[in-house]
Amino acid sequence: MIHIALQKQLIATNGVMLLDIDIEIKEGDFVTLYGDSGAGKTSILRMIAGLMTADKGYVKVNDRIWLDTKNKIYVKPQQRRIGYVFQEYALFPNMTVKENLLFALEKGQDKQIVNELIELVELGELKNRKPDKLSGGQKQRVALARALVRKPEILMLDEPLSALDHSMRSRLQDYILKMHKQFNLTTILISHEIGEVIKMCDNIFVIENGRIIKQGNPIDVFTSKQVSGKFQFSGEIVEVKREGIIYVVTVLIGANFVKIVADKSDVKTMTVGDKIIVASKAFNPLLQKIN
Amino acid sequence: MNTLEGKIASIKTNGSLSLVTINVNDILFQAMIIETPDTVSYLKKTNPVKVVFKETEVIISKGDGCELSIPNKVTGNISTIEKGVLLSKIIISTAVGDISAIITSDAMNEMILQIEEEVTILIKTTEIMLSQ
Repeated sequence: MIHIALQKQLIATNGVMLLDIDIEIKEGDFVTLYGDSGAGKTSILRMIAGLMTADKGYVKVNDRIWLDTKNKIYVKPQQRRIGYVFQEYALFPNMTVKENLLFALEKGQDKQIVNELIELVELGELKNRKPDKLSGGQKQRVALARALVRKPEILMLDEPLSALDHSMRSRLQDYILKMHKQFNLTTILISHEIGEVIKMCDNIFVIENGRIIKQGNPIDVFTSKQVSGKFQFSGEIVEVKREGIIYVVTVLIGANFVKIVADKSDVKTMTVGDKIIVASKAFNPLLQKIN
Repeated sequence: MNTLEGKIASIKTNGSLSLVTINVNDILFQAMIIETPDTVSYLKKTNPVKVVFKETEVIISKGDGCELSIPNKVTGNISTIEKGVLLSKIIISTAVGDISAIITSDAMNEMILQIEEEVTILIKTTEIMLSQ
């Protein structure tokens, strides 16, 4: 069990904000911190990593206390077993893929893990290339592998995929899930994309102004209205178009666009970019085998 | 989207399907859903529930609809007609509140539907969703 209790005054865009959270994460779980920019998500990760000091805090990972401000316990960042991946890849440009990973080794650690990780993220053929000869997705795979060199207890991912296009994102999500399982990690992801959250995580913490306002299984959290429709997807509105007396709403669900007929009263509160649930009865869709 | 608030009057379950009867202002609606009282907590007698169906699934009849295989019937009077080229929207005020229907303008013209006229609206059980 990982217990994280943190308090910190942060300077936010509209004044001072008190970050105040107290959460528990089961070992081996994949959890997401979800919320608007400036809600305090990155600060939480930085405090867990020891890169930012907390005003008051208690962080216990499995049986080790990393932080206990009351008893003046503070484990240095380099002694906390953490892997951290950011949106920016932060690779050393003058080193090859393999050298980037070797550099992350602890003193005296067996180098075999580096080869193993390179194979796992399928970068064997590119291991002697420098980062500027890699695509965004490949760089992020290197960053992911590098974060795992020291066999961390917690893998922290701060919007690692937001710079990538959709198909690359989906592949990287699969790599992350594979690593999460293979290394028995406890993973904390910051993400804004509902589809990603539902695909990847067991539990979600919704953060608003430094506080957890909701937590639970992602489907339950996002479908608060619980409609009985079994044909249900979450997506994002890309277009709302009036067609005579009705409206046609185009929604991006994963990599697919669907169109839904709606009434004026439905679209009244909806605009492009809104996250929505598309629901229909299981009795309506037709199934046709593809030849 | 039409949303009516009611209370669950009865639940008939077989396998993973349930036929739920909902009392909305003393008019009974039936919905066929792929849920059972074991899979969702709100499926309990007397629990409040919302009956949700799309405007495009509402059928309008000038008769009483008794000869049809559709159990959900409400009579009311047309309060608004919004005419479009292909589709038209009709709002019917009934004992359960206003219900919107979107039908083809051709059908509306053939039936010669007019404001204040009494009609029966019909909705199939498989078109109704329940929501908390």
